[in-house]
Amino acid sequence: MRGLLKGVGATSVAFALVLTGCSSTEADGGEGSPAELVIGSSDPVPNLVPGRQSNAFGLTMSVFSPLTFLDAEGELSYVAAESVESDDQITWTITLRDGWTFHDGTPVTAQDYVDSWNTVAYGPNAFENSGQLAVIAGYADLNPAEGEPATDELSGLAVIDDLTFSVTLNRADSQFPVQLSQAQTAFYPMPQSAFQDLDAYGKQPIGNGPFAVTTRWTEGEPIVAERYQDYAGDEPTVDKITWVPYSDRLTAYTDALAGNVDIVRLPANRMTQVADDFEDDHIYSFSGPAISYLSFPYWDARFDDVRVRQAISMAIDRDAINEALFGDLNAPATAWTPSIMPGNPDGICGEYCEYDPEAAAALLAQAGGFEGELTIHFPGGAGQDDLFNAIANYLRQNLGVDAIARPSVGWAEFSEDRNNKVLDGPFFARWGALYPSQQSTLRAVFTSAAGCTNCGGVIIPEVEQALNDADASDSEDGEAYAAAQQHLAEGFPVVPLFEESYNFVTSDKVAELTASAVGEPLLTDVILAGD
Amino acid sequence: MTEPATVALDGTLDRATTTQGLWAALRSRVQFWVSLALLTVLAIIAAVPGVLAGLFGEGDPRACDLTASNRPPTSGHLFGTDVQGCDVLANVLFGARTSLFIGLATTAICLVVAVTLGTLAGYAGGWLDALIARTADVVLGFPFLLGAIIVLNTAPNRSPLLLAAVLAFFSWPTFARLIRSSVREVREREFVQASHALGLSQARVVLTHVLPNSLAPTLAIAATMVGGVIGAEATLTFLGVGLVPPSISWGVQLSTAQSYFQGAPHTVVFPSIFLTVTVISLIMLGDALRDALDPRGRT
Repeated sequence: MRGLLKGVGATSVAFALVLTGCSSTEADGGEGSPAELVIGSSDPVPNLVPGRQSNAFGLTMSVFSPLTFLDAEGELSYVAAESVESDDQITWTITLRDGWTFHDGTPVTAQDYVDSWNTVAYGPNAFENSGQLAVIAGYADLNPAEGEPATDELSGLAVIDDLTFSVTLNRADSQFPVQLSQAQTAFYPMPQSAFQDLDAYGKQPIGNGPFAVTTRWTEGEPIVAERYQDYAGDEPTVDKITWVPYSDRLTAYTDALAGNVDIVRLPANRMTQVADDFEDDHIYSFSGPAISYLSFPYWDARFDDVRVRQAISMAIDRDAINEALFGDLNAPATAWTPSIMPGNPDGICGEYCEYDPEAAAALLAQAGGFEGELTIHFPGGAGQDDLFNAIANYLRQNLGVDAIARPSVGWAEFSEDRNNKVLDGPFFARWGALYPSQQSTLRAVFTSAAGCTNCGGVIIPEVEQALNDADASDSEDGEAYAAAQQHLAEGFPVVPLFEESYNFVTSDKVAELTASAVGEPLLTDVILAGD
Repeated sequence: MTEPATVALDGTLDRATTTQGLWAALRSRVQFWVSLALLTVLAIIAAVPGVLAGLFGEGDPRACDLTASNRPPTSGHLFGTDVQGCDVLANVLFGARTSLFIGLATTAICLVVAVTLGTLAGYAGGWLDALIARTADVVLGFPFLLGAIIVLNTAPNRSPLLLAAVLAFFSWPTFARLIRSSVREVREREFVQASHALGLSQARVVLTHVLPNSLAPTLAIAATMVGGVIGAEATLTFLGVGLVPPSISWGVQLSTAQSYFQGAPHTVVFPSIFLTVTVISLIMLGDALRDALDPRGRT
């Protein structure tokens, strides 16, 4: 026993020596030591092709540069594009900046953009972000309802010269330049080498951005990107970014507490506690373009009366939920899109989004009451139990209905039941917009071509008409979309719940984190402590 | 094993298997009285939780005020409030009902299945014995927690009764084996052979002579098992595959409270105390019974 202990002691001394040896070498090279950032990410990454990624925004936005960029104030600027212009809001001419190259050294040309967009839009490829291109003429031909498409090129795209191409849209859309901004990753360019083997490209994307992915990515391993020396845009503030995968957000959060990672997303069930765990200047809450709703099964006649839906909305104390469950990090919704959207008609929901239990009960009584059990459905395993139990408590206590909240087994079961109209009670719905325009959320939730099937309640034809009118108008302040929300306020198809914030915690290494208009931190602009 | 020990053992067994002997052995044990007292209190709580909770403040476990979320114990809420602002005391008391129900229902289902199959296997022997024993082995070979998670994850509506049935499904083989071996032992005893010689029917021999003499060790383990099942319910619920609100149980409370443990430790502590005390008193009762019925296990 004694001998064994001695052995352990000797080994640990040797180990300590090795460690010191290691650290002293590092200290020697400290003068030019690279500014490195470690990011904890807990979302599974299926594929890194920009047209396919759905939860690797930080990485994609660092490895690629968008045509246009929206800052936190909603100001549009040009990055890879020199200009995006149109006279009629239908035909747009995009001029690229000269001198930009991909990480493999080839120049970025108009042809690369056109080929990339054709690949993303081509139906049989089944790229996840293909829908972002649906506004371009010819998209329907590439995505026929049945059979193979007859062509593999969007008819709306035409190369004019090496740095110029034109885009023809299906209908007038004043928001097109905004749609080309950073989070709409389907619009990113891919080099010619990508098209030969898209699967390999998905493991190690070659972009036109400030950072180049250095190694082929394998499942469960960190992804490393280093500064691209020939980048033609603004210099990034860091030299190297590593994304470390975690199996869940809580583990990543704990590791951030220990200082092992520099930036992680704040898990929902730590919102009330984060102020005790981290110092104030290491907690960042960016208002995101996301909003949550309580949707109704419009196939269930019990919810046909608008007063029933309004009563349910008035019976929920959004402020109390925000304080008790979200640590005041979210904001109660007062319209059908988040207030971060330009021209958002804040407060258009009016008294129906304010807590008034007596009026709610009276309104429900006027509508003839509610029969039977009211089951609120939400996807289980996503940390939303407390929110929906709180809503069920409010409905039970304020409206006297037999309300319960029932989690599904997982997201797949929930979305299947929602798409197939199986749900028999109000249910969770949420939309995180990719560009801050009311258009994005309203089109995805409340039109017949919904991105979120059955999320927006019964379809109101006037909403779609108002959206088309707003798209065609050339006003840039977004107020034209408020007319669509007026119809929503009258029809009250769903209950707006919360404007969601995107929250992050950082280690001591990070001095300042800035966000873009989509609530995602800009990894290229992170200011490190001691710089 | 020496000769005198065997003699002594036989003597005690004969004494203990009569009701009078059992009672004499039990009543001298402090362990028995303590556990009985605790379980009586629990039974009263389970019978009238609302009335008892009302004595200490809020009697309705579903009267919640979110603005008073996660408050520490005060006079109106003796155990404080949980994240939804519901009274923790009322929830703990109502939870006793669910927990005891699941414990007793599971054990009852288990016993019915195990006694039937175990007696059949032990008494009939032959191919029936082989079939039942192998089936029990198969179920027993399946990891309990994994099996329960798979079954419960696919169940659309997780009620306390369903949970009890699932728990029973994975626990009956232990009992069945126990009963089978004691039935086999008793089958060879002289009084059973004497009953056969007297011309009694098989059914009568089993029901009046074999079963009463083979059930003793099972009863002791059944008491312990009720405690184990209550713990298992809490475990499964904590893992998110057991009961869900609006069911009220200690497991549900612990599962909800885990995220807020650092800020509101009382929401974890009080249900845990009740859970622990219940499980311990049932295990103590089981121990007392086993000691009285079978002195071989005494230490």
